[in-house]
Amino acid sequence: MSLINVESELAGTVWSIPVSPGETVEEDDPLVMVESMKMEIPISAPRDGVVKEIKVAEGDLISAGQVVVILES
Amino acid sequence: MTETSADKLAALQAARDAISDAGRPEAVAKRRAVGMATARERIDKLFDPGSFQEIGGLVEPDRGHEMSRDLVAPADGAVTGTGRIGGRPVNALAQDFTVLGGSIGTVADAKCGRLVKFSRERGQPMVMLLEGGGHRIQDGMNAAHFAAASPVFRELASLSGWVPMVTAIMGQGFAGPTAYASLCDFVVMLRGKSTMGIAGPALVKAGTTTEITKEELGGADRQADAQGIADLAVETEEECLNAIARFLSYLPQNAGEAPPVIPCDDPADRRDDGLLDLVPADSRKVYNMKKVIQAIADTGSVFELKPGYARNMITAFARLGGRPVGIFANQPMRKGGILDAAACEKAAHFIAMCDAFGLPLVSLIDIPGISIGPAAEDTGLGRRSGRLFFEMGIATVPLASVVLRKGYGGGYYAMGGGRAFDATIALGWPTAEICAMSIEGAVDVAYRKDYEAAPDPQARRTELIEMIRGQTSALDAASGFGLDDIIDPRDTRRILIDTFANSPARRADPAPARLRPISPI
Repeated sequence: MSLINVESELAGTVWSIPVSPGETVEEDDPLVMVESMKMEIPISAPRDGVVKEIKVAEGDLISAGQVVVILES
Repeated sequence: MTETSADKLAALQAARDAISDAGRPEAVAKRRAVGMATARERIDKLFDPGSFQEIGGLVEPDRGHEMSRDLVAPADGAVTGTGRIGGRPVNALAQDFTVLGGSIGTVADAKCGRLVKFSRERGQPMVMLLEGGGHRIQDGMNAAHFAAASPVFRELASLSGWVPMVTAIMGQGFAGPTAYASLCDFVVMLRGKSTMGIAGPALVKAGTTTEITKEELGGADRQADAQGIADLAVETEEECLNAIARFLSYLPQNAGEAPPVIPCDDPADRRDDGLLDLVPADSRKVYNMKKVIQAIADTGSVFELKPGYARNMITAFARLGGRPVGIFANQPMRKGGILDAAACEKAAHFIAMCDAFGLPLVSLIDIPGISIGPAAEDTGLGRRSGRLFFEMGIATVPLASVVLRKGYGGGYYAMGGGRAFDATIALGWPTAEICAMSIEGAVDVAYRKDYEAAPDPQARRTELIEMIRGQTSALDAASGFGLDDIIDPRDTRRILIDTFANSPARRADPAPARLRPISPI
């Protein structure tokens, strides 16, 4: 098992967080929805795993490269 | 006693046995210990059974100076020759890591040069299975030898755009192998085993004092996914060799031939109802463009290149009615599908390759624009986006553009929407929305004074947004004849197949006679 820092690819506002800590996710499942460029863009799981920690909250302004979720894989 | 012909034949057989895997059990054991195949095993698996004819297997290394006097190097560390892949002849070189660390000796270099000559003169693809440390140090630290340099890069460059060129990095690939790969059309590496880069960790430490593992420095995470200098990272050697065969299967033997059209069981008029709901009309919502590609292309025909790199741009070979095509598409799931420098270069290189080998292009457009802001400018995007305009501008293969939803700004031009690059056919789906920039942005830039002076600025802003949105629809686009037609998404497959079947292999080239165009980068 290893911990993966899931980063946002782009700057924006956290629109929603469709997962909770402890939840099992599959590769490409959306972890955090970011509002950017008038779109709701998912930050997706890079591989199967369990959500270890969510580092942001709805409404947070985030930057490109910021870690939003720690995934245990 | 006089030697007989049988004696001479026996001597030949002994020489052959000495370079074979059976004759080198210690070398084979070293490979087994690290779970990797020998160069000869790789060649056997790459080619159709029994089709490989080796050349230069019996060479000896250059022992012409003091430091190389005692070198032992079967085949000078490179298995070279011609065989068939999918029934078609291909020239290949496989470096032998068990011979002086896969280093490239003078004689192996000459063998490579002869393969290049075969590929150039016979019009056959060139494949290199590389694993080694680059130039042989025993040869290289001697100006009498090294000052002459090798013509290999000039030779490889002479093949570019004439025959497909492939490199598989099958283990350590810092320095020489990476340099060879840099001139190839398709580069595949093994995740967790292959490394690429200008120099390996030892040299990096000696030269810069930086300590880093070879995997961190040049593994697939960096070189395939983050940097895109490899087009594909796979898990096993078998997948690696299969990927080479698959890549070549879409391409002609050389630029003088037509791409190979194969029989197709998938009906041209297959209508996938899933396409009706795939693209949400609400442009705030994203979707997976890969599903659109799968629904349109022949079943099982999609072969994605650089799938881990610049994922906001999808580039894939596929077939339509058995005909190989190159599809490039914005991926809304990643960065909203925006064009950044990496996406522009990924698409530009792909377009160049398709154009070189005659594959018609399909552009699937859902583009919010070209990336903006200081981070984007720091990538030189103002110039690097020019590479995409450039390749679109000089490509002459048939081009079909389809606007699925957003067709915004310069990105819409770069993707070949409308008449930007004289597409063979310019189409839109009913969900298309085409204009110079995001509607909200346009209102804030051009109409701020207007709505701020209104009694209710927010209401006026909303009114302006809705007014503009009302003139950016697919039917508006068709009304001005910017697009040739607005189509039911389910008909996309049939229309693309018909369009390419009805088009000549090349569009007219508007360029006057010139020696060469100049790429922006």
